[in-house]
Amino acid sequence: MTDRPRAPASANGEPAADGVDRRVEESLSALSTEGGAAPAMGSALIRELARLQPATTRLPRREWAAVLGLSLFYATGILAWMGVRDDLDRIPPIWLIGIGAVWLAGFLAITWLVLVPPRGQVLPRWRWAAAAGALAAAFFITAGLLRPESLTETGTTYPATISAVVGHGPGCLRWGITVAAVPVLLTALAVRGAIPVGSRWLAAAIGAAGGSLGGLTLHLHCPISERFHIGLVHGGLVIVTAAIAALVARVGESRRRKP
Amino acid sequence: MSVEADLMTRYCDGDAGAFRDLYARVAPRLVGYLQRMCGERATAEDLVQQTFLKVHGARSAYVRGADPVPWMFAIARRTFLDEARRRKRARVNVSRGEGDLPEVPAAMDGSPLADAKPAAADPELVTAALDALSRLPPAQREAIILTKMSGKSIAEAAAITGATAGAMKLRAHRAYVALRRALAAIGAGGGP
Repeated sequence: MTDRPRAPASANGEPAADGVDRRVEESLSALSTEGGAAPAMGSALIRELARLQPATTRLPRREWAAVLGLSLFYATGILAWMGVRDDLDRIPPIWLIGIGAVWLAGFLAITWLVLVPPRGQVLPRWRWAAAAGALAAAFFITAGLLRPESLTETGTTYPATISAVVGHGPGCLRWGITVAAVPVLLTALAVRGAIPVGSRWLAAAIGAAGGSLGGLTLHLHCPISERFHIGLVHGGLVIVTAAIAALVARVGESRRRKP
Repeated sequence: MSVEADLMTRYCDGDAGAFRDLYARVAPRLVGYLQRMCGERATAEDLVQQTFLKVHGARSAYVRGADPVPWMFAIARRTFLDEARRRKRARVNVSRGEGDLPEVPAAMDGSPLADAKPAAADPELVTAALDALSRLPPAQREAIILTKMSGKSIAEAAAITGATAGAMKLRAHRAYVALRRALAAIGAGGGP
């Protein structure tokens, strides 16, 4: 409680402690909202209190581990159903594992920021989570577009025309969104009730986390090695899932506000 | 662990008495904050009831050992904003009526509390301050209400409103400067 706004300093740099500041402080002190008596509890609150039951509270780290475990299990199942890319054995292992690890790190980090609040606080780190989501999206799109040509030798490629990129996009986006849906749902369920501020940004971050897991699955499934496809479709998946989640949160908020 | 955190934990374990104690500690602060925000004591009290109902409904989102007060303030703020939107208020005014001058805190039997703060010596000063507050942009008004009237730190106020600490500090400073300017005019013999 040491970082309260202070009175502006005077021209010579000394704290301005003249009569005006004293009057400001006096008036603010008089208007202080602390120290009053509590209003009587309303009937609805008394009714709720009469049937009070113990509630299971959040265990953020355990929730994080559960969301990760279930999401990875689900993504593995989807991947097993879709099948892994046919050029898997020809891809340089360092690239396969390295890129996969970055996708996974995106998912882990964003989900952590969403689910685990700072020590001693209830409110989640929505600002950091949203920033991590934006960073992940920017990184995956840029990394895909700047992909070295040597890595295109193993996979399927096609002429980098707009129609070709658009034509090959929906399939990957559909699978990516399918993979993202479950972690997004699980994370949203875990964090619900704790987000009175920044809910849309937090929803976008949750979507970005799901998109990162979707991107990891596509990395192991999609054999297309064309850089615009990797950058705009696989990387863009993070933005698409973030936008969908934010939109769903917005619609949910609007409905909740309606009397 | 803070007193509020301990009470919240016991409340989550099903202790209704702990909830009452928590209510007695936090509700006055929330009423004060909301009264300054919406300008009406009755509305503020109603919003506090809604806030506590929301807290009750969302108590499973509580993390044991954490300070629940910033979270409750954030819920109160959300409730206020939803209500303000619902009433389609483009701008929520801070009240200036005589009846809205600071009240003397009292115990349940109506007797004044021993540690009650004295009311402002100069009602004209308080009225001028309220007038100046009402003319502030909402974000600046909220910043000074939280940091100077509700006793929140910059970091807590930022967490409650969703602003960055830097933005909160700037808003509070600008609000203070505006208040200072308004009250200086009073001191110089001119009206606000």
